[in-house]
Amino acid sequence: MAEAYQEEAATEERGDDYGLDRPADLRRTLRRLRASVSNQRLRLWLVLLSVVCYTFFAIAAPMYSATVVDLMWGQIKEARAAGESWTVSWHSGGRELCLLLGLYVAAGLFYFVQSFLMASFAERLSFRLRGEIARKLQRLPLAFYDRRQPGEVLSRVTNDLDKMAEAFQTGALKLMTSLGLIAGSLAMMLRLSPWLTLVFVFFMGLSLLATRVVAARTLRSALRRQECVSRVTSLAEEFYTGRRVIRAFNREAESSAEMHRATRSLAEAAQRADFLVFAINPAVRFINRAGQIGIAVGGCVLMLHGRLSVGAFQAFFQFVHQAGEPLTELSYMLNAMQSSLASLERVYALLDEEEMSPDAQTPAAEAASLPRARGEVRFCGVRFGYTPGSLLMRDINFSVKPGQKVAVVGSTGAGKTTLINLLMRFYELDGGCILLDGVPTTSMSRRRLREQFGMVLQDTWLFDGTIAENIAYGRPDATREQIAAAARAARVDFYVHTMPQGYETRLCNDGELLSVGQRQLLTIARVFLCDPALLILDEATSSVDTRTELEISRAMRRLMKGRTSFVIAHRLSTIVDADLILMMRDGDIIEQGTHDELLRAGGAYAELYNSQFT
Amino acid sequence: MLVLLVLLMLLEVGSGLMIPTMTAELINRGLEGTEPAVIVRGGCLMAAASLLAGLGALAGSYLTALLAAELGRYLRNRLYDHVLRFSEADMEHFGTGSMVTRTLSDVNVVQQALVMLALMVLPVPVVCLLGIGLSFYLDATMGWLMLGVTLVLLPLMVVVLRLAAPCFVKLQLFLDRMNTVVREVVTGVRVIRAFNKEEHEVQRMETVFRDYRGVAVKANRLFAGMESTALLLVNVMLVVILYVCGVRTGAGAMEMGDLAAVSQYAVLVLFFLMMAQMVMVMMPRAGVCLRRIREVLEYEPSIQDGEDAPGAPMCPALPLSAASPAPSASGVSGVSGAARLSGEALPVMRFRSVCFRYPDAEEDTLHDIDFSCRRGETTAIIGSTGCGKSTIAKLMLRFLDVTSGAVELFGTDVRRLRQADLRARVACVPQRSWLFSGTIAENLSYGLPGASPQRMREALRMAQAQFVEELPEGLDARVAQGGTNFSGGQRQRLAIARALMKPADLFLFDDSFSALDVRTDAALRRALREGLRDAAVLVIAQRISSIAHADRIVVLEDGRMVGCGRHAELMESCAVYREIARSQMRREEDCSHG
Repeated sequence: MAEAYQEEAATEERGDDYGLDRPADLRRTLRRLRASVSNQRLRLWLVLLSVVCYTFFAIAAPMYSATVVDLMWGQIKEARAAGESWTVSWHSGGRELCLLLGLYVAAGLFYFVQSFLMASFAERLSFRLRGEIARKLQRLPLAFYDRRQPGEVLSRVTNDLDKMAEAFQTGALKLMTSLGLIAGSLAMMLRLSPWLTLVFVFFMGLSLLATRVVAARTLRSALRRQECVSRVTSLAEEFYTGRRVIRAFNREAESSAEMHRATRSLAEAAQRADFLVFAINPAVRFINRAGQIGIAVGGCVLMLHGRLSVGAFQAFFQFVHQAGEPLTELSYMLNAMQSSLASLERVYALLDEEEMSPDAQTPAAEAASLPRARGEVRFCGVRFGYTPGSLLMRDINFSVKPGQKVAVVGSTGAGKTTLINLLMRFYELDGGCILLDGVPTTSMSRRRLREQFGMVLQDTWLFDGTIAENIAYGRPDATREQIAAAARAARVDFYVHTMPQGYETRLCNDGELLSVGQRQLLTIARVFLCDPALLILDEATSSVDTRTELEISRAMRRLMKGRTSFVIAHRLSTIVDADLILMMRDGDIIEQGTHDELLRAGGAYAELYNSQFT
Repeated sequence: MLVLLVLLMLLEVGSGLMIPTMTAELINRGLEGTEPAVIVRGGCLMAAASLLAGLGALAGSYLTALLAAELGRYLRNRLYDHVLRFSEADMEHFGTGSMVTRTLSDVNVVQQALVMLALMVLPVPVVCLLGIGLSFYLDATMGWLMLGVTLVLLPLMVVVLRLAAPCFVKLQLFLDRMNTVVREVVTGVRVIRAFNKEEHEVQRMETVFRDYRGVAVKANRLFAGMESTALLLVNVMLVVILYVCGVRTGAGAMEMGDLAAVSQYAVLVLFFLMMAQMVMVMMPRAGVCLRRIREVLEYEPSIQDGEDAPGAPMCPALPLSAASPAPSASGVSGVSGAARLSGEALPVMRFRSVCFRYPDAEEDTLHDIDFSCRRGETTAIIGSTGCGKSTIAKLMLRFLDVTSGAVELFGTDVRRLRQADLRARVACVPQRSWLFSGTIAENLSYGLPGASPQRMREALRMAQAQFVEELPEGLDARVAQGGTNFSGGQRQRLAIARALMKPADLFLFDDSFSALDVRTDAALRRALREGLRDAAVLVIAQRISSIAHADRIVVLEDGRMVGCGRHAELMESCAVYREIARSQMRREEDCSHG
């Protein structure tokens, strides 16, 4: 969980709030975007229509209010001159006021309509893209996953799409309305008074400039703050994870001092960065106010000379407000849109990744794969390398009879896990073929192939569900008795009963609820339940102690009757009764045979085995 | 500092709010028809007011930033220092991941909340009061109008808040869930494919996505509604103000120019109220984070230092190897002859009928464990997974406390000692070695601060970690966080060297040889036998070959001792031990080499 936080923090703090994130190929991304929103075209058209209407009313209303004010003022002046008092009645101002109200209400209505319609736009887009990613993930080859940190993919699905949704949600709409409002307001302002418009434009330009200047300084301090945050993050993670060592060696004082130093630097950097960000507001407000003062003074002078009516003056202020706000926010909006398009681009890049080759679906292939394989495996001249150009396996040949136990031995990097990966067709061969019951694995669907295998990996994977669900992963329709029986076979039933809710206890992958050994036993139970024709144990038993492993291996021996199994382990004791031992080094099988044969041969295997006793 | 902030804010808001009134004055002058000079003078006054407001705002921003940064620093420091005192059980109560989140992300949220409160919410009452006040100044009716408007808006805001807050909490929850599921799918790709569950996982993800979309859309719609209502309210208010203004001006109670001022005030009040509302919507989340932080800070560590300071007879720490009887540094007080004598008679560590049970477990993890570790002897513990071996290590270092019985260091119950004193005498190599980012030398100096490079090399040699000499930077070679830039075996050897640096009375090896191949394991054991001759050694292991030479072997099964003695005796008398041996060695004859 801590890693997830760190990864997300790392991706969040990429400075895309400060305009560093830009799409590489804007046109292409926009084109793809158009395709992605094709199912919401009607909605978009309606929104556009609504925006046009809203803009119209939003411009018309202040204009009309000028008329109303002038009308009222005119009548009041007359009344004053005549020494009477005056009040609003239906015929003198009331009717106009109602019309004005109606204009405003219409504007509000259209605003509501467009916001409401847009409310689901971005989320639908996200949902569609997320669904595509979800399906894509299942078609991507394992090489893709090997190259990347999980945090990267995670950030595409959640972080990037969220940012995109946020920006589109409010940004897109605001952008559309802003453009209309700014254009309309400026036009009206010009109509009312060109001089005042000039004043307005001048001050507006000034405030935009100020924003730009401060933003540049902000960027530097923001980067510095990011650095400090990463430092504190990694320190916190390191110290919390290694706290046992810290305490065992009485280093609490030193680590505390180091942490204090880091938080002090962070406080300083954060303060500077925050101040600059906060300071933009007062600066802009001051300039805007100065602008308003300028307009007020200018307007009054114009009024003195009778060149401007009070209504027009009042309307002008309304337009200033209507144009000013979007203008100041324009740069932020553009930045947000830019970084959201960059996010979108990354998502599309993911969707464009190269996929695995499709399954062979010939009828012959389907007929050839039996519901349950016999378990005869043969490797014929297999060549393979993870990266094109560098081969790990040059010419692997061996054959396994049904029901035999095969032990694969060798040091790290010898190619043991690779062998397994190829069996399960997690990667494609560069040459040669693997035969299951005489049928090449490439000519049957991956699903069929993998159905025949049960796999227990060293890296245990459990998901956020109950223990029962985790065990029944391969057989969702299993009954509780079957689940319990599998758990008993894996010697994990006892532990489950010490849990507060037994089989209904919820787990999660970071689950600090179970020890490493117990998690492995659960994954073994999972395979027990599936009852496959072939078994693969990938160093699974090395962190289960030898005696428990003995129990399991006894149970598995029962299971293995008539089943072929491949075992990769470091412990020689687990493989001494194998029917075939494959000794690997640098991707080649240097020795094959039974334990006694290899001991007699006196080669690398014998050397390894004998060195156990010194 | 808080008071200063409030004052500055008052200044800023106050000056800011004077401006519309001054504008109104100006307009009225303009309407009456006065000299331009008057207008210009009015303009200068306004400029001065806005300058004042600007300076106040600037200073306020500075203070706010300072306050937030200091708060963050204070909280993080306190959190960290407090957590250092936690025991294992305490830490497990929260979880490492959650702890990191609380220290970083939760504090962040609280900081931001403070900033929002200071900048957006604090001015609200002032703005409302001043706005209403100034409206009254212009005209009584206007004042009442403003008051009425504010009084209507406030409860409306509260209602919307009540509706919106749970929505956002739910949003966060669904976001977390989405994160979890996608992470699982990505990390478990092999398993998913092996079990042909691709379609199932796609369904699972789509369900989560759909749920998230539902909640997000609802939240957006709520926001849209709130915003539109606000807009409508502003505009309706403007019309109403225009109406009332018209009436009042007609009645001669106010001037037309005042319209501008009152409209401004109305808009300002609404704006601030809306902003405050947006901020208040985020507050529950900050409240949750604050509560989580409080939870940690108020949690009493379950293991406290004993009041008895060095009650245990302290013996001088031992040299590392018999070959170089160099006086080792030890922060220990002097020794009396009597103490030395008693020290040698007492075992270094004694488990006296120890029982241990986790707080929420049905059964004891350890039951009635009784053994001693004596100087110059090697004690070994062997048993199956989950039988409690690692728990013993934790009890020895007092990362956990026994439920009954006692752990004694030189005859004194460890609960009566200071934890620092206990841990100064016991060196431990944990099951999964953890190194800190820095250099190898820095890591080794954990065992002995200020140690000489020569001493370090000795320790490395004994730990079979000579590979360090072959590295280009040698002792100054970089270590990544966790030591991940070294292989598992190298990491373990470095951890062993680190422990060997310590001038301890008891060396504890908790399954520390598992990542080593058999040859290195044997060489290491030989070196340890030589070098740690005068100390007590406790080895927890899985391989019988690692411990067959021990002076005393304790066999555990399901938390109980089922055998104690030397290898040969146990092979005869203990069935469990025999089975373990059998599973590791092919023929019983080989045991004699053992």
